[in-house]
Amino acid sequence: MAEAARLAPPPGLAIAGDLPDVIPARKPLKGFLGFVRRRPAVAFGGGLLIAMVFVAVFAPFLGTVDPGVLATSKRLRPPSAEAWFGTDMLGRDLYSRVLYGARVSLIVGFSVAALASLIGLAIGLVSGMVRWVDGIVMRLIDGLMSIPPILLAVALMALTRGSLQNVVIAITVAEIPRVARLVRGVVLSLREQPYVDAAVAAGTPTPMIVIRHILPNTIAPMTVQATYICASAMIVEAILSFIGAGVPPITPSWGNIMAEGRALWQVKPTIVFFPAIFLSLTVLAVNLLGDGLRDALDPRMAKSL
Amino acid sequence: MALLEVDRLQTHFRTPDGVNRAVDGVSFSIEKGETLAVVGESGCGKSVTAMSIMRLIAEPPGKSAGEIRFEGRDLLKLSEKEMKKIRGDDISMIFQEPMTSLNPVLKVGRQIGESLRLHQGLDRGQAEDKAVEMLQLVGIPEPKRRAGEYPHQLSGGMRQRVMIAMALACSPKLLIADEPTTALDVTIQAQILDLMRDLKDRVGAAILIITHDLGVVAEVADRVVVMYAGRKVEEAPVRDLFAKPRHPYTRGLLGAVPKLGSSLEGKTEKLAEIPGIVPSLKTKIEGCVFAGRCPEAEDVCREFAPALEEKAPRHVAACHFSPREQEAAA
Amino acid sequence: MTSIVFRRVLSTIPVMGVVALFVFSLLYIAPGDPAAVIAGDQASPEDVERIRQGLGLDRPYLVRFFEWLLQILRGDLGVSIFTNLPVTTMIAQRVEPTLSLMIVTLIIAVGVAVPMGVVAAWKADTWIDRSAMGFAVFGFSTPVFVVGYLIAYLFALKLGWFPVQGYVPIARGVGPWLHSLILPSVTLALVYIALIARITRAAMLDVLSQDYIRTAKAKGVGQRQILFVHGLKNAAVPIVTVIGIGVALLIGGAVVTESVFAIPGLGRLIVDAILRRDYPVIQGVVLLFSFVYVLVNLGVDLVYTFVDPRIRY
Repeated sequence: MAEAARLAPPPGLAIAGDLPDVIPARKPLKGFLGFVRRRPAVAFGGGLLIAMVFVAVFAPFLGTVDPGVLATSKRLRPPSAEAWFGTDMLGRDLYSRVLYGARVSLIVGFSVAALASLIGLAIGLVSGMVRWVDGIVMRLIDGLMSIPPILLAVALMALTRGSLQNVVIAITVAEIPRVARLVRGVVLSLREQPYVDAAVAAGTPTPMIVIRHILPNTIAPMTVQATYICASAMIVEAILSFIGAGVPPITPSWGNIMAEGRALWQVKPTIVFFPAIFLSLTVLAVNLLGDGLRDALDPRMAKSL
Repeated sequence: MALLEVDRLQTHFRTPDGVNRAVDGVSFSIEKGETLAVVGESGCGKSVTAMSIMRLIAEPPGKSAGEIRFEGRDLLKLSEKEMKKIRGDDISMIFQEPMTSLNPVLKVGRQIGESLRLHQGLDRGQAEDKAVEMLQLVGIPEPKRRAGEYPHQLSGGMRQRVMIAMALACSPKLLIADEPTTALDVTIQAQILDLMRDLKDRVGAAILIITHDLGVVAEVADRVVVMYAGRKVEEAPVRDLFAKPRHPYTRGLLGAVPKLGSSLEGKTEKLAEIPGIVPSLKTKIEGCVFAGRCPEAEDVCREFAPALEEKAPRHVAACHFSPREQEAAA
Repeated sequence: MTSIVFRRVLSTIPVMGVVALFVFSLLYIAPGDPAAVIAGDQASPEDVERIRQGLGLDRPYLVRFFEWLLQILRGDLGVSIFTNLPVTTMIAQRVEPTLSLMIVTLIIAVGVAVPMGVVAAWKADTWIDRSAMGFAVFGFSTPVFVVGYLIAYLFALKLGWFPVQGYVPIARGVGPWLHSLILPSVTLALVYIALIARITRAAMLDVLSQDYIRTAKAKGVGQRQILFVHGLKNAAVPIVTVIGIGVALLIGGAVVTESVFAIPGLGRLIVDAILRRDYPVIQGVVLLFSFVYVLVNLGVDLVYTFVDPRIRY
């Protein structure tokens, strides 16, 4: 056809002139590089998170020493070739502690996200489907959501011995209401849909309706919510450790390292600085991924979050 | 000199999957006091044309080229500040959706008064008084009370009257009406059209009416521009167009030919079905834009885009197979 | 409308009831023996028993709950295990710094975040929008105390513009008071700014795409008026809502900020109480903060009716 266009037009025919391009055409971006160009934030966040997971998993092989080994003769050393991030007040190698600290943060972040999502999903589904449960559950959730999450976690931690498991439970309890409410909202709006009505009218059993029509629609908003919960859980974990209500002090977690560095922050800011950078970057990575997921999966949520 | 001359207007948009050539080389003009209708299916670029004249195309992603001369001045070359003075004063606009086109949190009196305060320098009280006057003019009962109400307290027809009051407040020279009756009940449609015609005579404004409703066209227009896929395919005085459409697309549109005056009796003709779909505007179209759906298309149409030709006095169309009147007579 | 307001006020009662129930029940549902945890590892069995009785853990749950509820309704939050002072007295001594911190933070945050969100929406997808939203993501991703140390290091230690730590009561003059509050407030404001700016941008983007904004533009209304008269008023409901919800962040953040800047407020009180496992104090502060939070959000609901005529019931 392009071949034919180059032929001379039949005589006597009025041909329209060519029109200029107002906006220069741009080649669509394809492949991995195209993805990086189109969504630099998501690519950056994803890359960073993968790097952090790598650090956490392979911490023993990344030039670290035992993060718990005390060396009183080498206290408070500045960063050097021997101890890349310096040493803390007990002479422990900060680089090793920070790398091992990635484990605690990531475990807390991922477990809280998974647990809170699953429990919240269950509560939200039941609450959205069963009317009499809804009345009670929503009252409870309204009440729980009136307690600022950090305070809720703090109150829980004050009554238990500090352990990784208890920290995860405390933060999870504080995050469940948000998920439950989100899922319930999705369920209620879906129940208004004609096809769900039709399924009910056709006598489809409730569990079937939930599995076929409701559950699939909760996945997108839940995934987005889960990433934000993961990010927030890592911050809350650090805050709990920082105020002395977190994982046991001997555990090398970023919050603990910073809590230990507190007393000396005016003279040795690096002790707080290194774990802070790692924590912020990790949370940033998860947040960027969450924003990317939100834009990709559920544009409507962009408005509510 | 015509009041408004649109000359080879192109408005394109950048989209994630290519450049959308929404309006591509459209030209037409409107004389003082004249009513010109632009018709076409949805997505043919008629609303984008209107928004381009008002310079309300967001840039990016959009961009306009060509010339839009209003009283001799090219609107596309004006600064935003100069353009702001023209909008709502010399050129004003009525939109399709009276339900959503009024600001829900501002009282209607204030919304009408706003352009008066902006363009005529009235103070709050004067603007309010004039707004009540305008509400009376567009036939809203108890204008004083209504001016103090919010849009959600008014019915759809009343809201469109408010829109008209707002558009005519500063006695514009050109009124652009984008599907002004589409969202309204049939009986209200006739009333609104009557009101527009009546006020047009009083204010002496020219009207550019955009519609897909041929009943409306027959009712109010002096001349008609038919658009398809971002281009003008035919233009003629309204009677000539209905009597002897020159472009196959127009003939398709007129499949059920509406009788003049039918919408007064409460009947409106919608566009007849034309097989096929409007081509994607994201790739440059070779040949005639309508070739894909045209019952008369031949190879030559798919290869060479027809130019607009005067087929009869004041009647232009872009079709290789539509004979020029003189030749046909010869 | 008054009846709606009345009903809305009444609806906070069950919410507060659940808060009270939960804060109370933690003592019973916490794993292990809370009395032993509170008493600490060095405590003798007698100490543990004394604490158990003091908290009423030896009596039936429901009996104890209603006793405690009546006690709270009389304005008695119990007695601190550590200082033996009434919790209400301890709270009263600490209210001023925290209230000051929160109010100054609120003003800074709203003052910065709303214009920032509006401009970001107006300049959507430009470098201005991207840097504003990049700043917001950064704000979400950095724990409050890290921000605090960073700001204190820069503006107090290095530049010496502000005191590193401490709080000056307002009774000693508004100037010194404000001077002592600037750094902690900016610290605390960061995450709050991030939250409000994001919601403001989203709400404004939604509003700016509405037909009535096009109408206003077609009338020749200027950009500033479009944004702040036609736009912001329509976007007000989500913005006001998030300001209310964000108070939870503010409360959580205050706990940490007060520790960083050594401000003797309620946040310090609860942190000290955690270290001493002084549960009655923790309970009291949590209850008070939750009550304030509920009240703030009640206020937010009432503000709706002023900003949006459609919600005027």
